[in-house]
Amino acid sequence: MSETKISRRGLLTGTTALVGGVAAFSGPWKHNRAYAQAADKPVKIGITSDASGQYANSGASDRRGMMMAIDEANAKGGVLGRKIEYIHLDTETAAATGSRVAERMITREECGFLVGAVSSGVANAISQVAQRYGVIYLNTNSSSPTESGKNCHRVKFVWDGNGTNFAKAAVKNSIDAYGKKWMLLTNDYGWGHDTAASTKKLLATYGGEVTDEILIPQGTRDFSAALLKIQQANPDVVAAAVGGDDQVAMRQQVAQLGMGEKTAWINNQQDWPDVYGLPVDNLFGVFGTTWYYGLDLPGVKEFVARYQAAYPETVMRVPGNVFYNGYMATRELLAAIERAGTTNNIAVIKQLEGLKMPAESRMQHFDAWIDPDTHQVQQTIYLATANTKAGDDKDNMFKILAQSKPDDVKDDDAAAACKLESYEDTPSFDA
Amino acid sequence: MYDLIPHIVNGLTLGLLFALIALGFTLIVGVMEVINLAHGAFFALGAYFAVAVIGGSWFSGTEFGAWWLGLPLATRYVVALIFGPICAAIAGMVLELCLRPTYGKAPLYGLLLTFGAALVIEELIRVFWGTGEQSLTIPQTINGAFLLGGLIFSKYKFFAAAFAVLAIFLVWLLLERTPYGAIIKAGSHDSEMVRALGYDLSKLRLAVFAFGACLAGLAGITMAPIWGLRPHIGIDVVIPAFLIIVIGGVGSFWGAVAAAMLVGLSVGISGAYAPAWAMLSMYILLILVVGVRARGLLGRKSALEN
Repeated sequence: MSETKISRRGLLTGTTALVGGVAAFSGPWKHNRAYAQAADKPVKIGITSDASGQYANSGASDRRGMMMAIDEANAKGGVLGRKIEYIHLDTETAAATGSRVAERMITREECGFLVGAVSSGVANAISQVAQRYGVIYLNTNSSSPTESGKNCHRVKFVWDGNGTNFAKAAVKNSIDAYGKKWMLLTNDYGWGHDTAASTKKLLATYGGEVTDEILIPQGTRDFSAALLKIQQANPDVVAAAVGGDDQVAMRQQVAQLGMGEKTAWINNQQDWPDVYGLPVDNLFGVFGTTWYYGLDLPGVKEFVARYQAAYPETVMRVPGNVFYNGYMATRELLAAIERAGTTNNIAVIKQLEGLKMPAESRMQHFDAWIDPDTHQVQQTIYLATANTKAGDDKDNMFKILAQSKPDDVKDDDAAAACKLESYEDTPSFDA
Repeated sequence: MYDLIPHIVNGLTLGLLFALIALGFTLIVGVMEVINLAHGAFFALGAYFAVAVIGGSWFSGTEFGAWWLGLPLATRYVVALIFGPICAAIAGMVLELCLRPTYGKAPLYGLLLTFGAALVIEELIRVFWGTGEQSLTIPQTINGAFLLGGLIFSKYKFFAAAFAVLAIFLVWLLLERTPYGAIIKAGSHDSEMVRALGYDLSKLRLAVFAFGACLAGLAGITMAPIWGLRPHIGIDVVIPAFLIIVIGGVGSFWGAVAAAMLVGLSVGISGAYAPAWAMLSMYILLILVVGVRARGLLGRKSALEN
């Protein structure tokens, strides 16, 4: 039998390692985070928007929207008498970074709420982390139908219209107007595929036909091969679900070839930051949006003036849909906290679920509401095209063609695919 | 087969544009053995200065501005084509001066410094020009489209490809037919011997870096009307440029040109028939070439291979 001698140093080292190891694996930060924010401390919001990568430009606009809503709330005394603070970390238009940023914001920065996304991949990654901790997350600007479908979560609320909403608004009318032979140009990632799937389903419903689908890898800068292919196939309609910088490059190349007028183009959704400042001939075809600064509705002019006062140096002189979504989501979150009378996440979630938002308050044509089964904002969807008669007003780039009621463009498949976690399965805490 | 021809033509024009992007990069790597990760930033800088010269919004309120903007677009474009690369070259010279303490040290120092410079330049672009998309206006004569074989092609893309051919030819002339080219090539082969022969190696490096940055700026102006222009466009450039010089053989002029043509063809043809693989095809090409011939298509033989 061997004799084992334990020295004092060995004992101390071993004990320290053991305590450290137990602490590392079991907490204590998770619980600390939940109770760290006392009533007199500021409410802390983590802004998870892209500052680099494909959606850097839209991310900046999204962020400005959230910041304006927070600044306005702080000017009125904050929420529940507490000041609102925010921090921003770049999610880099990358799902892995989104996940890391969310984890850090929750566990280290002690953010009680997360807001922001343009890429659906990033939004999905953030929401998985947020659900694990029970932190409410507002997906402000990503539009994949899966965000409020199979990737829905109890803590996540989706504020933009999704690919199906926009496709529903456009497909039937376009078949009637241009023809049945459609070619799809699809960004090769979640949002592109989901939107294309939705378009295909609607085409099948309304008697259209998909002749071919060209997948566009993210980061594509040269579209000449795809544009040659489109010319060779000569479809009636090209339905593009291409976003961010890829879309800007595509628009420029299509405009150079003059293909914008020769073929009917349906661009599922057009984010304002992607086209702001481009020549108007780059804005070919018909596209969807949730809001436009030129809408002749009460409150719009004042909203634009507030934006211009808040951001006098910004190159983008008028707000667009991305800014609008970021602003509205944050404003409604803060209002929900105020109504709940507490920062308890479950209480705030219940305030948001089913929330009715009058058309006047959202500066849209029809009342909107948050679907309690999918957590997606059901709202007016606009179809627009280039405004060729804007004259010297370089900002007035869109001409609104039509607006669809939320019920007419509702994504029924999302509701079937979405299984929200129960309240009991969602960690509860006071932010 | 008839359907394939337009895609081959498209691939070749794309290849020429890739060659233009990679020229400055290969020159700097060849002579200075520095992998210049700021190459994309110089590319962007050249294009942004060109936009500033053509648009002239920052001095439009002045008398000179009013006169300048009254000139035909073609004149302003030609001036921008000269001014943009010169500005990029000046930025390149500043970076070379910053790089001097790293010479003779581990390559990582140069790599990190140029990476940092790329981030700084990108941020400066955001500060001065904003984060939004910019548009580089081109003269009407090279804008628009033309019909060929029943298909529409972009006039500008063919102009850009022809311009790339001219640039490649002029760089070749400089390297092969002038005493300056001989010194640059000698510097690339054996820099210590060049110094021993009495040439100022510091000036040579400064000149080569400026020339490489100038070519990057020129490529930026050429590509901006096709790819668009945003502060982080440099990232779109560095990876293909790096790939091309590795496929072609580090430091080889014609290797880079040949590799660029191959990359252009692979991207162009896969873009038509297997579009999801279009971006990946250049990496597959890299694996194939380096797998068979580690030094690239026309790279110098390593001492270890003798």
